[in-house]
Amino acid sequence: MNGRTISRSQLAALVDDLVGSGVGVVAPVRAPDGRLDYRPVARLEEAVLDGGLPRLSLKSLFLPPTEPLFSFRKSGPDVAIDSVPTTFPPRLVLGAVPCDAAGVAALDKVMGWDYRDELWFGRREATTIVSVACGKGDASCFCGATGNGPAGTRGADLLLLPLDDGFAVEVVTPKGEALLSAHAGRFGEPPNEADVARRRAGLLEGRVEPVGSLAPVTAWLGGHFDDPVWDGIALRCHGCGACASVCPTCHCFDIVDEPEGVTRGTRRRNWDTCQTARFTLHASGHNPRSVQDARYRQRVLHKFSIYPERFGELLCTGCGRCSRACPGGMDLPDVLGAIAARAAAPAGGAA
Amino acid sequence: MKELRDLATKLLAEGTVNVVLGWEEGPRGVRPAFATDAAAAGRLVFDPRCTQNLVPYLSPRRTQVKKLGKAAVVVKGCDARAVAGLVRETQLAREDVVVIGVRCGGVIADPASPEPLSPATVADRCPGCNSREPKLADHTVGELPAAPPGESRRDVRIADLEARTADERWAFWQDELGRCVRCHACREACPMCFCERCVADKTQPQWVDSSPHPRGAFAWNVTRALHLAGRCVDCGECERACPVDIPLGLLNLKLARVASERFGYTATDDPAVPSPVGSFQKDDAQEFIL
Amino acid sequence: MNATLDKTSFEPRLTAFVCNWCTYTGADLAGTSRLQMDANVRIVRLPCTGRIDPLFIVKAFERGADGVIVSGCHPADCHYTSGNYHARRRFAFFKELIEFLGLPEGRITFSWVSASEGQKWREVVNDATARVRALGPFSGYPGTELPAWPAAGAPAPNPAPGGGGER
Repeated sequence: MNGRTISRSQLAALVDDLVGSGVGVVAPVRAPDGRLDYRPVARLEEAVLDGGLPRLSLKSLFLPPTEPLFSFRKSGPDVAIDSVPTTFPPRLVLGAVPCDAAGVAALDKVMGWDYRDELWFGRREATTIVSVACGKGDASCFCGATGNGPAGTRGADLLLLPLDDGFAVEVVTPKGEALLSAHAGRFGEPPNEADVARRRAGLLEGRVEPVGSLAPVTAWLGGHFDDPVWDGIALRCHGCGACASVCPTCHCFDIVDEPEGVTRGTRRRNWDTCQTARFTLHASGHNPRSVQDARYRQRVLHKFSIYPERFGELLCTGCGRCSRACPGGMDLPDVLGAIAARAAAPAGGAA
Repeated sequence: MKELRDLATKLLAEGTVNVVLGWEEGPRGVRPAFATDAAAAGRLVFDPRCTQNLVPYLSPRRTQVKKLGKAAVVVKGCDARAVAGLVRETQLAREDVVVIGVRCGGVIADPASPEPLSPATVADRCPGCNSREPKLADHTVGELPAAPPGESRRDVRIADLEARTADERWAFWQDELGRCVRCHACREACPMCFCERCVADKTQPQWVDSSPHPRGAFAWNVTRALHLAGRCVDCGECERACPVDIPLGLLNLKLARVASERFGYTATDDPAVPSPVGSFQKDDAQEFIL
Repeated sequence: MNATLDKTSFEPRLTAFVCNWCTYTGADLAGTSRLQMDANVRIVRLPCTGRIDPLFIVKAFERGADGVIVSGCHPADCHYTSGNYHARRRFAFFKELIEFLGLPEGRITFSWVSASEGQKWREVVNDATARVRALGPFSGYPGTELPAWPAAGAPAPNPAPGGGGER
């Protein structure tokens, strides 16, 4: 580990320093109903580090459920456009779950692909992400299968690994390095390597993931759009889109113009999901994805075939939120397992 | 359990139905099952984890289920009210579905939980339940278990909210509804939200802003609650489906009480009882009208 | 002229959704009878109270109304026999719901005003206006700002005000 350590009291002092200097600090906070949400904090005590997955993923901090793109108003015979700022004040996320941070990194690819999304990258550039290694995985987690793991560093600028008092600090990016050097006095000596290795191994101890390697699945999916495996794959899916709402990588959005009075309005983008029938409904009434099986196939293909083909990485970080959120009991690892079995079967494997 | 499995197997074997909607063991507790053969029928279960209402799968929107053919559906007493609701509102012909009732002693809130049924784990709607044995059923299976444990947490929460000032209630709901992301999972999981085209999806005119800003979240949640007033069957699916845990059950229950206190209507599995929003009495109370 | 034109005090804006057959005609009678009343009400005429979707009321608040009046035919007077009876049940649910949600009391007025009740219409209008004037502008109605949590640390980039937008 190329890093340092920080005690809990020094971390609290660091949060005070940051908040005092005008940096917005966001961390998992316990809501009255007991669940966690990423929310602004004024002090470290408000944050719950390594408490498990917040309700909504970290993507909501970079692609909010709704955001204005611009406002328009009638100005005499003309229309005036009021743009929104695309630069943001500095912000630090403390206690990001590694699978959440990885999701943000995955989304950088599509957000900067054929068009550079100014709002996404405006927030990305203003934000430093400090992940905390996760010791709260359960039977629905499969971050290992997606190549990340409970102490994964993808998307993080710094990774904190819990020690007895405080954390071992791993520097991942220059942005993380900058934070560390700007507040060098708060950080202590490098940690004991053997202790860190032991604790890292401890995070994986006894973990059995619900799905094995995803490589065969990804390889098989491309040529099997019409495979019988898809028939009835989404029997229990309500098409409600709860999975997409909680997903750290689902990023589809809808754009709407909302009038706000007679002479002005705002164009906004809002989260959308391919799991609803209306997502692909044409004006003619034709729907190319007319059944839920086809819509669910789209979800699987986008995450495990289309995105890897185009960007070289999965659009899934194995957080398992979709399985936990699903009212119909759809379980992505279960589906991936079924596809893997199909891919391994002699007859099923043929394209 | 054997009784349920045997019945499902028989209905499939004699061709009465093509599929039996029930529950089975899944990767995370129990999950909805769609048994089309004896092997699958032999895997059906019913126990206190079976909290899901399966009646939404009878919706014409579930084309993936529809194409399996004629269905039998396993219902708890609360779920039977959803079947009755669909029949009452002419969305389902009674003879088009075989209803298998199960006698129920309450279910837990989270079907994935390994915890046993207890006052701590019981679903909000269960304590005090008066429909533990569905009347609207072609077959009823199982012994009647003991009454659900615990007391209604919702009654306490509603009483608490009603005791507060309007401003405090306003702050409470603005906070709760502030989490809404307008995914409409509450609508899709609801057995009674069967509209071909929801008013919230209409754009000409756009009655309900589609954005999850506070204005849109408020308009949608008022609309959802109101469109289910006097129609909600209290199966809890909306609240269970909500990915951000908005206590939708409180709104539903509040309006169910209005239906009961003002119009003498309680959700029932008797489809012949008229809906309070499809009927009226000339002497309905109108103390709020000048 | 009456006091409502005093520019220094808050003048609420009320939207009235009224039935064509009774209240609208009653309001007309008030006008032809030259009854003076507060000029704060904008009337939207509908065929029947049965046509008044509670969403209309929500929309009025969204667009900046400080108060809403809903008015139609007395029971047994409905031009379509039972539209007002159905509406009455719907309004009862709506009223109880918004009270439970904490919408300030007094911003919505329900009334029955017949075609011959020009005098009553004036009272309804004046009373509702006075009530809403006393409550002040409805600035608490949810606006369009983003909720604080997803945009934490970000400025509120939305230039639109809270409340109901343009008046």
